[in-house]
Amino acid sequence: MLKFENVSKIYPGNFVALEDINLQIEKGEFLSIVGHSGSGKSTLLKLIYAEEQVTGGHVYFNDRSIDSINRKHLPYYRRNIGTVFQDFKLLPQKTAFENVAYALEVSDETDEEIKELVPEILDIVGMGDKANKYPRQLSGGEQQKICLARALVRKPLIIIADEPTGNLDPVATWEIVQLLLKINSMGTTILLATHNKDIVDKLNRRVIALDQGKIIRDHQKGRYAI
Amino acid sequence: MKFIKLKRTFREGMDNFRRNGWLSFATVSVLAISLYVISITIILGVTANMVLRNIQDKINVSVYFNTDIEENRILEIKSKLTGYQEISSIEYVSKEQALEQFKKMGDKNPSITQALAEIGDNPLLSALVIKAKHPSQYDLIAKAITNSNFSADVSRIDFEENKTAIDRLSSIIKLVEKVGLTLGIVFVFIGVLITFNAIRLTMYAHKQEFEIMRLVGASNIYIRMPFVFEGILYGAVSAFVVMICIFITSKFLAPITQGSISGGDIVSFYFANFFIIFGGLLISGIFLGTLSGVIAIKRYLKV
Repeated sequence: MLKFENVSKIYPGNFVALEDINLQIEKGEFLSIVGHSGSGKSTLLKLIYAEEQVTGGHVYFNDRSIDSINRKHLPYYRRNIGTVFQDFKLLPQKTAFENVAYALEVSDETDEEIKELVPEILDIVGMGDKANKYPRQLSGGEQQKICLARALVRKPLIIIADEPTGNLDPVATWEIVQLLLKINSMGTTILLATHNKDIVDKLNRRVIALDQGKIIRDHQKGRYAI
Repeated sequence: MKFIKLKRTFREGMDNFRRNGWLSFATVSVLAISLYVISITIILGVTANMVLRNIQDKINVSVYFNTDIEENRILEIKSKLTGYQEISSIEYVSKEQALEQFKKMGDKNPSITQALAEIGDNPLLSALVIKAKHPSQYDLIAKAITNSNFSADVSRIDFEENKTAIDRLSSIIKLVEKVGLTLGIVFVFIGVLITFNAIRLTMYAHKQEFEIMRLVGASNIYIRMPFVFEGILYGAVSAFVVMICIFITSKFLAPITQGSISGGDIVSFYFANFFIIFGGLLISGIFLGTLSGVIAIKRYLKV
């Protein structure tokens, strides 16, 4: 489903973020990406949702090279991918409901569909009763659940979670991980970049470790080790 | 663009405006101040011009003829003068008419009636009352008459008496036109600049939201349109605010301008031109708001 072929990414100033990355990710996988800060985890994920472009090599999404996608069509491509971040990235002026609904509005779903789908998704992440709260009225864990709902609502093929638990307490962290597992069990591919050793060890799924822009380990049932 | 997109982006723009209360207030204030200064400059210029034209309209040059000149001869001279480019109108006032007018003044001032009764005869002269198209041209007209072949028939021209007043007026008109134009241009420039900056700052505040919107798959047009609508809204609201401010200002100025504008005072001028002023404000407000918005978004929005 996702394939990295000799991918390198060099930022201006000759800063090498990724070097000669070869990686294949299958549909339905739950892949954890570990590594020190600055090891290239976020860059690797950014290449997938086309926030950054490769310097060398190709990233394929369902056999199509991402860099061949017309810039105009990038928004449509991005709708295949749900994203969750450490800093949540919720729109501050919108309620929980509106934040989730926004992802549907931009892809021209009808108002009826939105009214039906959004509460459903909010229930799945356990935030049904907080639909009318603004982000500032929610705890970190709750905000992250809204983000997951937003990522999920368009039924994406992949969910990219970049340090989703970085700002959360242990209880909230586990709630998020449970949700990710639940989403994965419904068939969605999950890419999780994390520093959290506990999570990776307990998940017991495929783990790749990055160091200085290179993949140094790729284990099918891995543990946290750099 | 699909109707549903238009509807949603419009609603987004309205929500942004409403929910960013302080930011909207600040932006509208700046925009309103610029529009207010610009429109007051323009209105003062127009009013000053109207006042001056009004005074100008009351100025004329009277050419008095010797008592022995027949009416036919005067009318002949009148038709000759009609050919002059600089002259806008000529009115013939016979000595009988002049006496009538003089007697009317006597109604208020008994000493005039008394004086007339003492003289017994009509002491007044027939005259042509000439109005020029521009105050600076009276000098020219007076000279032309003095040098003409009928100058012998002319008893006197009262131009010299009015000369200083006329000269002063024409120099004031020129000055007002120049100063008004310069000030107008300067204020328009300043207005555009601060409006652009205010809206740019507003967009900067939204910068992070652009990124979020892109990540959830919003197309550029979907991100941009709400801000365009927001810009339109800034312009429209400012236009309303300025309209009220101008009304208050003109109420305040009304006593000063009473009688010096042909249509009454400045308040009646305001109402007579309500739609022109409002339309102008609305269009320039929306234009300023939208343009600044579009430029600012271009700066902060990448694909």
